[in-house]
Parts: sequence; C-alpha cells; structure tokens
Amino acid sequence: MMPHEKAKLVLQDVGHSWLGRTVFEGFDLVLRPGEVVALVGPSGCGKTTILQIAAGLVEPLRGRVYRNYRRHAVVFQEPRLLPWLTTRDNIAYGLKVSGCAASRRHAIAAARALEVGLDPEDLTKYPVELSGGMRQRAAVARALAVEPDVVFFDEPFTAVDVGLRRVLQDLVIAAAARAHFSALFVTHDLAEAVRVAHRLIVLSAIDGRVVDQRIIAGEPGTRDNRAIFDIVESWSHEAVFAELFDADRRVSA
Amino acid sequence: MTVSSPSEGGGVPASRPDAPGRLASAGRMLVDAAEWFGRYIWSGWVGLAGLLCLAAAWQAGHEIYGSFILPAPLETIQVLLGLLQGPELARAASETAWRALTGFLLAAGIGTLAGAIAGYSFAAMRIMRPIVTVILGVPPIAWIVLALIWFGSSGGAAVLTVVLASFPISFAGALEGVATRDRALDAMARSFGASALTRFRSVTLPHLLSYLFPAWTTTIGSAWKVTVMAELLSNSGGIGGELATARALFDIPLVMAWIVLVVAFALISEYGVLNPIREMTERWRSAGLPWGVKR
Ligand SMILES: Nc1ncnc2c1ncn2[C@@H]1O[C@H](COP(=O)(O)OP(=O)(O)OP(=O)(O)O)[C@@H](O)[C@H]1O
Ligand SMILES: [Mg+2]
Repeated sequence: MMPHEKAKLVLQDVGHSWLGRTVFEGFDLVLRPGEVVALVGPSGCGKTTILQIAAGLVEPLRGRVYRNYRRHAVVFQEPRLLPWLTTRDNIAYGLKVSGCAASRRHAIAAARALEVGLDPEDLTKYPVELSGGMRQRAAVARALAVEPDVVFFDEPFTAVDVGLRRVLQDLVIAAAARAHFSALFVTHDLAEAVRVAHRLIVLSAIDGRVVDQRIIAGEPGTRDNRAIFDIVESWSHEAVFAELFDADRRVSA
Repeated sequence: MTVSSPSEGGGVPASRPDAPGRLASAGRMLVDAAEWFGRYIWSGWVGLAGLLCLAAAWQAGHEIYGSFILPAPLETIQVLLGLLQGPELARAASETAWRALTGFLLAAGIGTLAGAIAGYSFAAMRIMRPIVTVILGVPPIAWIVLALIWFGSSGGAAVLTVVLASFPISFAGALEGVATRDRALDAMARSFGASALTRFRSVTLPHLLSYLFPAWTTTIGSAWKVTVMAELLSNSGGIGGELATARALFDIPLVMAWIVLVVAFALISEYGVLNPIREMTERWRSAGLPWGVKR
C-alpha cells in the first residue's frame, strides 16, 4: 500500500550498509508528480547510494521503496555510453530495450539529439569521437528519449565546464517543465540545486542523516542569476550548510 | 494505487518500419558491405606482398642448400598442382579439415562456455582454474599418446588432442573478458530495465569478443598443426598420414607440398573466415584510431 496517494516515488525508513558499515539510516523521501528534489551533501555521505536504491539498482537493506510510475531513467556522473554503438544507437538504447521498432527509435533519437544540442552528423559518430560535453549531452538525450516519469540525476554535470553546465541545467529545467517528469537531482553544488529544484534535502556527512529540508522559493527556470546568487549567499552562512562547504574546501585543497 | 517496478508497464507503441525506409536502409547496407569487401581485398595485397618476401627467402635458401634439402617454391607448387589432379589430396585434405574444424569448434565452444561461466561465478572460477591449469600443463604430445591408446588409429585421437590442447586458450580469454566487463555500463543497462540476456548481448558480448577473437585465432592455428601431428603419429590418414608416406619415400618436394597445403588452410581459416568476422563486429574500434572509422 502506497503511503502517499499522489506521490510518484516514496522511500520509507530506508537504511543501507556497505560491507557492514552503515552509510545512513531512516531516510524518507516523497517525490510528487512534476517535482524536482535536489539532494545535497558532502562527498561520501551516501547520495549515490540513495539514488541507486531509489532507481532500483541496489536493494536497500532496511526500509521500503514504493514506485508509482511506468518508467524511469538515470543520468550518471559519467556518460556511460556503449563504445560500440553510434551516438544514435546509444540515445536509442533505452527505447531498444523496451522493444521499440528501429525506424521509430531512430527518429526519436534524432529529435532528442537535436534538443540537447547535438548536430545531425554527430549521430553516426562513436562515443570516442565525441567531446566530453557532447557525451554527457548524449547521456541526457538517452534518458529523456524513453519519456520517463521519473529521472534520477547523479551529479550529472560535475565533469563539464561552467558554461556548458548552465546550458545543460537549463535543458533539464525546460525538459522537466515540458514533459512534467519528477526528478531526484544529486549534486554537490548548492547553486545548481537552487537553480534546478523545487525542494532541497541536505544530508550530513557524519551519519547520512537529513539535517535540513527546505522549499526553494519560485519555480525552477523563473529564478534569475541574481536570485540564485542571493539564496546561495544567505544559505551558505547557515550552520546546516557548513559541512557541505567544508567538504568542498577539503576536496579542492 | 499499485506498486510497480519501472521495467513493467507499457512501452512506446511499436510501429512497423515503412517499406521505402527499409529498402533504403537495405541499399545502404549493401553499399557499405561492398565498400568494406573492397577494402578487405585491398589490404589482402599487402599481406600477399609479405608472403612473397617469405617465398623469396625460401628461393634463396633453395639456391644455397640445393634441391635435396630445400626444394624450390616453384617446384613445390608444381608438385602441389600435380596432387590436385589425383584423388589423394581431396581425401587427405577433407579428412584433416574435418578433424581440425571439429576440434576447433569443440575447443572454442567448450572453452568459451566454461570460461564465461567462470567469469560470472567466482565459485566456478575457483574450481575450474586449477583443472584448466593441469590440463594445460600436460604436453600435447602426451595427449596424443593417451588419445592413441583410447581411440586407436582413428580420427578421434586427433580431435581429442586438438580439444584438450587448445580449449584452455578460449577458456582463459572468455574468463578474462567476462571478468573485466564494465559493471558501470551494466548498471546503466539495468536502469533501463534490460533483461540479463539483453545485457549480455549488448554490454558484455561486444567487450568479450575482443578477448575471444585472439583466442579463437590461436586455437584455429594450433588446431591444424596438432591435427597433422596427431595424424602423423597415429597413422590415421589425412595430411599427416600423407606426410609420413612422403617422408618414408624421401620425396622432399612432396613433403613441402603437403606443408604448404596445411599452411594455406591455416591462412584461409584465419584471414578468410575469422578476421573478416572480427572486422565486421569490431568496426567501432577503429573509431578510436588516429585515422578514424572508415565510412
Ligand atoms: N559498491 C560499494 N561497495 C562498498 N562500499 C560502497 C559502495 N558504494 C559506496 N560505498 C561506500 O558508501 C559510502 C557512501 O558512498 P556514496 O557513493 O553513496 O557517496 P556520495 O554521497 O555519492 O559521495 P560523492 O559525492 O563523492 O559521490 C562511502 O563511504 C563509500 O565508500
Ligand atoms: Mg556519488
């Protein structure tokens, strides 16, 4: 029985350990239709583990996961394109798995490639012939091609440069608004979270506890740079985010 | 409200590919295939040039040591052409070919299957590895002796020797290929709800093939050699039997002719069969090379 009638995805009291070491306990999440939830937290606090559990890639040791949707897609930190398939076949991979006919999935792949800013001639290239940014665009196109109801993003744009990151974030925001999918968006970057999400969940490094949850004012896509900057600036002085920025400093040091 | 996994539920409705589109794509495939064939023949010339260099060295050796030690290439070819007229070549060659190919198929099949299972299952690997090491440790000549005792002077001895001597190569290749598969790509495929079979076909197999082709190439090469050796020692006909006869008659050009025939078979099976298949399945690899994928 689904605890929340309208929710697309519910994680209830989920806990997980790797090799006997507990990463987090008692994690709850309710993902509503059309809602983008950002999950931020310092490195190693269990964000990827939560995402893998939510996406069904890892079985949680404790707690339950309820899903109420037809299909989902995952955008990983690395592009994870199949090196032996052309860009077209990579974008169409999810469609092929679900048994879509070749001509139809090629048409969809071409349309999605155009949307994420790939050129038509890139479609016949293999992943090694694409730049890092183009590969990540292809990975986003592959996820959107299956018309998912829920999309899981695991720090998808950490490896791309700042300019392209903005472009890809805007692309995700536009796609979410158009296709009305729900999303769980894992990130390190508070500004990214504030840009793309409706709601923010902050995890602690020490025990993977949820230290804070807050609604971000306004709809994603309507906040301008100034507003995002102001929110990040005011939040970064708060104690709950101190850990996040400490960890960032540790990483860059 | 239902609890459902994302992999179930309706997909994008499948539509039938339209006929003109299918015709056009078939035409494109035909052009691609013709282009690829042309390139393959062309690269064959380069290989032929290498073989002719070898023939020149052979000729030089003949001129130094004389006909009795090393007959001239042309003389050998003439003997070979003479053999083509008679019935014994077809009989011997088909016997040897049948044994070598049976041995190859069994060795590659058993080795690949066992290796893949071992690659997936740690327990299976722990059990099979030492067995394979022991089998690999027995010299092929010892297998021939044992097979002779078990099978007598029949083709079975040659086939068994080929299988035992060369299945460990495919085993090791398949084991390595499956064990080094990219789990991140596998997780990606799982995230789209791909079944185990689909994941094997689309994620593991293309990677595995790059380990299998070198193993299979080595196996087919040694299959010919071991078959002839087993035939010669077990006196069970085939090219090995003909070699034994020619040696007994001290007919050196005839010996050379049979040797050339075996080498030709090995070359054909590698460059005529295995390599074209490999090129077709691994076209994507050349995309990473400096000159790019040939389109
Ligand atoms: N497959 C695994 N096997 C064993 N331990 C794991 C595995 N995956 C993650 N862990 C451990 O679980 C903890 C949380 O890892 P996780 O990848 O979820 O962190 P994260 O929050 O995504 O970090 P980052 O921001 O650096 O990606 C880490 O201590 C890690 O060592
Ligand atoms: Mg992570």
